[in-house]
Amino acid sequence: MTTSFDIKNKKTMGLAAMQGRGFYYPFDLAFDSNDKIYVLGRGHDYDPRGARITVMDMEEEYYGTFGSFGDKEGQFMWPSSIAISNKDKIYVSDEYLNKITIMTTEGDFISSFGQLGNAEGEFDGPNGLVFDDNNQLYIVDHRNGRIQVFDEDGNYIRKFSSEGESEGKLNLPWGITHISDDTLYISDWGNHRIQEFSTNGDFIRTIGSKGNNESNLLHPSSSAVDDLGYVYVSDWGNHKLKVFDKHGTFLCSNRGEGTLSKWAQDFLDTNVQEKEARSKANLVFELESFKNDPFTESSHVEKLFWCPTSISFHKDKLLIVDSSRHRIQVFNKVEKL
Amino acid sequence: MSNKDIMLMAHLMRRVGFGSTKDELEEYIKNGYDNQVDIILDSEPNYEISKHLINRYQPDYGSPMGNSSNGASWLYKMIWSDSPFKEKISLFWHGIFATGYAKLANGIVLHDQIKMFSKFGLGNYKNLLIELSKDPAMIIWLDNCESHKGAVNENYGRELLELFSMGTGNYTEKDIKEASRAFTGWTIANKDYMTTKSQRDSVWPYGRLAMHFEYKEDDHDEDEKIFLGETGNFNGEEIIDIICKQKATAKFISRHMYSFFVEDEPPVPEWPYKEPNNPNAIELLSEVYFDTGYNIKEMLRFLFKSKFFKSEKVWNKRVKSPIELVAGTLRITKEFERPDKQQSSANSHTSFMGQHAMNPPSVEGWHWGTEWLDSGTVVERVNFSSSKLGDVNNSGIRKIINNVKSNISNQYSTELLIEKILEELGSIIVSKTTKDTLKDFVNSKINSEKSLNDDNLSELLQLIGAMPEYQRA
Repeated sequence: MTTSFDIKNKKTMGLAAMQGRGFYYPFDLAFDSNDKIYVLGRGHDYDPRGARITVMDMEEEYYGTFGSFGDKEGQFMWPSSIAISNKDKIYVSDEYLNKITIMTTEGDFISSFGQLGNAEGEFDGPNGLVFDDNNQLYIVDHRNGRIQVFDEDGNYIRKFSSEGESEGKLNLPWGITHISDDTLYISDWGNHRIQEFSTNGDFIRTIGSKGNNESNLLHPSSSAVDDLGYVYVSDWGNHKLKVFDKHGTFLCSNRGEGTLSKWAQDFLDTNVQEKEARSKANLVFELESFKNDPFTESSHVEKLFWCPTSISFHKDKLLIVDSSRHRIQVFNKVEKL
Repeated sequence: MSNKDIMLMAHLMRRVGFGSTKDELEEYIKNGYDNQVDIILDSEPNYEISKHLINRYQPDYGSPMGNSSNGASWLYKMIWSDSPFKEKISLFWHGIFATGYAKLANGIVLHDQIKMFSKFGLGNYKNLLIELSKDPAMIIWLDNCESHKGAVNENYGRELLELFSMGTGNYTEKDIKEASRAFTGWTIANKDYMTTKSQRDSVWPYGRLAMHFEYKEDDHDEDEKIFLGETGNFNGEEIIDIICKQKATAKFISRHMYSFFVEDEPPVPEWPYKEPNNPNAIELLSEVYFDTGYNIKEMLRFLFKSKFFKSEKVWNKRVKSPIELVAGTLRITKEFERPDKQQSSANSHTSFMGQHAMNPPSVEGWHWGTEWLDSGTVVERVNFSSSKLGDVNNSGIRKIINNVKSNISNQYSTELLIEKILEELGSIIVSKTTKDTLKDFVNSKINSEKSLNDDNLSELLQLIGAMPEYQRA
């Protein structure tokens, strides 16, 4: 007997905005102990205003922004990932400046650590960040193909893995996720798979393989795990959400179901000309050029994921940072049909 | 292999791409000239830096909000393609079918237009014109979405004849009106929403949206038209079919090819009044146009193998456009071996030199040739090429310096040093005056093999970057 699974969209949050309320190429998010969300904006080279942190909550209440583009302390050039410690300190990785910046939740600079290199404690493109239950920080050092572990003050503790293609090796990894049984899930972007490690750095298993079929992955950026052990993957290159069971068997996928967020609705309500024109538009359609080209399809069809960069659970809600559409799509957990 | 063979291959590579280094030329020479032309025309390029890697680091290069990232993204392809001919062809068509961001306010549709040039730019000219007529960027740029049955907008019909196919003097005002009527109903899907977003430069709520062609049958003028002497209930495809049959079209597109790939012609507005530099070449290309059923690739195959292309008289006769200059220089220096923020800065230099990709000064595009050069742009060009060639930290320059040092080991002379360094940069041909200037510099700074240090060679490379010959292809 075959059991079917499905995953349903709950709502959409955010708005494209070069500055202020909204995001500009958001890459990652994290929650503090008060359930405030800190959304890390990447920005882009021609408009540095996007490199900032936008603070909001699940009801889309807006609390402001902080952080700015630059190479001074507390500034970002290519911010990549964000994590928050159990003491509510914010950690941001910058893969251009090759350092981690530590800030308060008010945006005040505390300290930073790291520099370009491949020695212990040095980075070549720090990306994904995650804390374990002991407040140890795991940093994806992506061009060095390894994970480095630090204490909350930025003191180096240990490292594991190395660059390569075989099991346990990493090729330009991106996101990292920790679950409470001391297991890490690393998005092995260049090898098109998720790899599971113990927090000691022992390789456990691989999920997914390269391809554009339903059960395959293409440059996955991030993963999240629910209480059943189901693994949710932001399949960046296929522009999909993919779900696997705890044995790595594919369960279901979703191509994206973006709707109008509260902020988006506010924008349209105050820009009636656009609202009226939009109301008459058909924004969901099929074209011949979409075949085997989800990137092109996502550039045309607004509701679809376009380069999802981060996926994480907050309580029972799954939040996917839909980077090139400058929003967060929120889903319920997978359910049996 | 003779020196002349290398020089000829270097000439070919400057025209089909953005120039080649000595190592690359030596590989190509092994194939033989004609075979190398076929390889270039028939190969699909590989890119050393994948689009996935670029989009990971620079997400706006794949899903552009504005326009500048389009140019920077295109520049990556020009630099890191193993066969940049496809990019050169797209640049060729972009110069003729110039479409600009100023009116579109949407980076994605321009990004898609360049992709279309890459896909159709070496095929049948008729198909290319049909694709161009369906291209959303062009439809908005020339207002065809505002052209309706009974209320015709003539912008696209006019430019299709004047700038995209036949040239002035070969059709009447009546032909423009009839062609425009035939293209009524050729519009974009969700036209009101898309044009509203463009007019308001709106990125809201969720960024730019790509656009696609839509044919509205009920808005198409189906009545009889008389166009270039033919009568019928023509739609756009039939109009293009008639256009492509015209001798004027063959000559017009042949002259564009000659100007872009062989030697600079005067700006297009002067064509009705000035004979081509080489009327015989235009005639020959026009014959190939008809003989091959308007096939662009076969016209170019003929062109690159022709005597007029191989003639030394046309070597180094074209002024590099800013994009050609920047791309060619960065292919030599190889400084962006992985995606880098500085790529955006390098792209900005093309604008400072007068060519902002996908943002032409008008529907006529840019005026090429010596019109690229004025007192401001020359300073910008020289500063850029000198500073890049003189930066010994770039891996490409590092390799050139090492090769020069090893090639003149124990047999140093001023002449040999100059010869080897010009060879390494892609067998650059220089005048006697320029060579004397280089000799004066070398004799004053480097008088023995012991003086072949980074500082001196950097200065020599800077001087070469400032030479008039480096500014030409």
